[in-house]
Amino acid sequence: MAAGYNHSVEPLLKYRIRVKKENCRPDGRELGEFRTTTLNIGSVSTADGSALVKIGNTTIICGIKAELTAPPVDAPNKGYIVPNVDLPPLCSSRFRPGPPGEQAQAASQFIADVIESSQVIRREDICIEKGKLCWVLYCDIMCLDYDGNILDACIIALIAALKNVQLPEVNINTETELAEVNMKQKKHLNITKHPVGSSFAVFDDTIIIVDPTAEEEELSTGMITVVTDENEKLCAVHKPGGTALSGEKLQDCISRAITRNREVSKLINEVMQSAKLK
Amino acid sequence: MPVDTKRVRGPDESQSPLLFVLPSTGKPECPQEGREDGRQRSQADVRPVFARCGLISQAKGSAYIEAGNTKLICSVYGPRETDRKDEVDMKSGRLVCDFRFAPFSCPKRGSWIQGSEEKALSLGLLESLLPAACLHKYPRSQIEVNVVALEHDGSVLAHAVTCASLALADAGIEMYDLVLGCALRQDGPSFLIDPTFAEESGAQSAGSGENQGRVTVALLPSLHQVSGLQSDGEMAEDTLVGAVKACIEGCQRLYPVIQQALARAVRRKAPPTAV
Amino acid sequence: ETPHCLVHTMEVEESSTHPTTALREFGCEQNLLSRPDGSASFVQGDTSVLAGVYGPAEVKVSKEIYDRATMEVLIQPKVGLPAILSLSAGHTRFSLFYLCPVSLLLSRRYKASLCVSVCLCVQGPQLLACSLNAACMALMDAGLPMRCLFCGVTCAIDPEGHIHTDPTAAQERESRAVMTFAIDSAERRVMMSSTKGSFSVSELQQCIAVSQRASGKIFQFYRDSVSRRYSKML
Repeated sequence: MAAGYNHSVEPLLKYRIRVKKENCRPDGRELGEFRTTTLNIGSVSTADGSALVKIGNTTIICGIKAELTAPPVDAPNKGYIVPNVDLPPLCSSRFRPGPPGEQAQAASQFIADVIESSQVIRREDICIEKGKLCWVLYCDIMCLDYDGNILDACIIALIAALKNVQLPEVNINTETELAEVNMKQKKHLNITKHPVGSSFAVFDDTIIIVDPTAEEEELSTGMITVVTDENEKLCAVHKPGGTALSGEKLQDCISRAITRNREVSKLINEVMQSAKLK
Repeated sequence: MPVDTKRVRGPDESQSPLLFVLPSTGKPECPQEGREDGRQRSQADVRPVFARCGLISQAKGSAYIEAGNTKLICSVYGPRETDRKDEVDMKSGRLVCDFRFAPFSCPKRGSWIQGSEEKALSLGLLESLLPAACLHKYPRSQIEVNVVALEHDGSVLAHAVTCASLALADAGIEMYDLVLGCALRQDGPSFLIDPTFAEESGAQSAGSGENQGRVTVALLPSLHQVSGLQSDGEMAEDTLVGAVKACIEGCQRLYPVIQQALARAVRRKAPPTAV
Repeated sequence: ETPHCLVHTMEVEESSTHPTTALREFGCEQNLLSRPDGSASFVQGDTSVLAGVYGPAEVKVSKEIYDRATMEVLIQPKVGLPAILSLSAGHTRFSLFYLCPVSLLLSRRYKASLCVSVCLCVQGPQLLACSLNAACMALMDAGLPMRCLFCGVTCAIDPEGHIHTDPTAAQERESRAVMTFAIDSAERRVMMSSTKGSFSVSELQQCIAVSQRASGKIFQFYRDSVSRRYSKML
């Protein structure tokens, strides 16, 4: 078993020493530097809205399908938004086929919380007729390449895909009481908030790095994800255990998250603009 | 009723808006002459294919293929220790294939749970790939092939076979040959090669109800052997033979593109030549 | 041999000054189950949780990690199979799974397995915080070496911007944001954070400060219950 230590203790020590000495990570990034983020929208024509996001090697695709249903009984003037994150065995050897694992469940719950907390879309906007008919937006997020920091990529993909959605016009025929869909008249959704997440990996409270790769996530002693909106409000501070952080360190993370929000918002706007010109 | 607690749940029932579209008043198009995308009927007129290797950093080998609007991505992991210890084969490795549709890949939203169609496609994929892989070189281990359809616009199985064999080659798994797939829709006397989703599921053209069916052929191109053949529908013997021949021709047309993609990947992986 | 049981409740006065660190009555009983190596029940407001700790025990070869103990967390409803639990219970499990190893010195026990099993008896608004407290007391009861203790505190921000610790179900429903933090006993730092709703940076910092203050009361409660329990024996 002695040889086994090479796989766990040594890389962590080596990593720490190198990062401390050179202030530089194995892939050449500085501690506060994100990987190159690229965004591609509308690439899946079978979806009502779609987006493909790459942060370094990490690749996430989000496809949104809109369907019609009756509004929930407890909120007759609201529609549904149903986000799900899938980590298929395709994206990394750490995932097995079958029902979603722990990490996928936690990610789905996190994305649902972010949508709810940030009020990305007013759920009243996707109700067609009170108590009778509303839209349900199935936001299916799939990881194609898992190289760390999927939560940030999931949020970008979700927001970009939502901005890409075009819903057809729906009227309710007064005589037959049936829905009539007009595919020629399509409208964009009204996106009220633009939450952007920033994930950090913590190494024993001494080193905090942004946008960890899968390897760095594995070596780290804690993870934290901060989601902010464009008004510098926080929508989520998600830290599932791990090394404890002081209030000051947390403040550093939040400051970085706010600047990241501006960078990503700019990227999304640029891509939306160039898509319109096409 | 069992409920899914591992996913965010939506309403119990919902319908696709496509069901409520008002019937259009325009005249139904007459497809007898050409095809909607401008290709010719009864000719080995395959859609232009875009193929790339090595897009998934975590996988041993991977491939992405795009034919028209059909988009597939495949990753290969292994050879590694078998999951199922009770089924360890000392003489030969296991090939495990998993085919999935992304929920947004079809005109109607699919479920996250693997359906019977996906299971059938996984099996079809496995059977087409088995004759090509030198599994006896990997005793006691398993090789995993995962294919995800990002967009389904017809002929998924055929392209999945091509994509998976490309990914296997990219992973450096020893193989006798590549495997290329080609699908065909027989529509009466004429056939549509590499059909789109609409052509695949669309109603037969007016007139004869005979010779309606679909064929998918998997071919080892340099050995010129067929490794997989799937056919459904009712066809006369000579029509079926003709259909298989047309599919083989379609596969051969695909070959240079796939070869190029593979050569490109090898060139990138090869160590820089000594100066 | 009768187990050393102890029922101890504590009420913290509702102070009218603002922001309050008022916590409702909470109670705890340690070592109430005979099978687990350590157990505790924790009642806080309308929420009640039972936690048991098994281990250190032999680990399955397939799950063995050679330089530290393996950790498992199970969450169970009071009746029925764990499958009926919602995703939010999964969140609790996820949090505990990442939280416990930090306070436990897992590297002291090579090739051992530890299992924390949490039963949700009455599910109320502080499910996460209550589960954390119960788990920590059960770990203490099991006598495992720990780096620090931890406790969970829930805060709610109402529409006027007032912060309430330990909110009632009604307060939670009306609130603009709800946060749960796990605080460590050594330096009172944030070990875990889980939030709902949107809030400003200063509100977050205030909530953390309030939780840190409230955590003192919970740690004092931990200390009191343990010292009372052992005062009979010593």
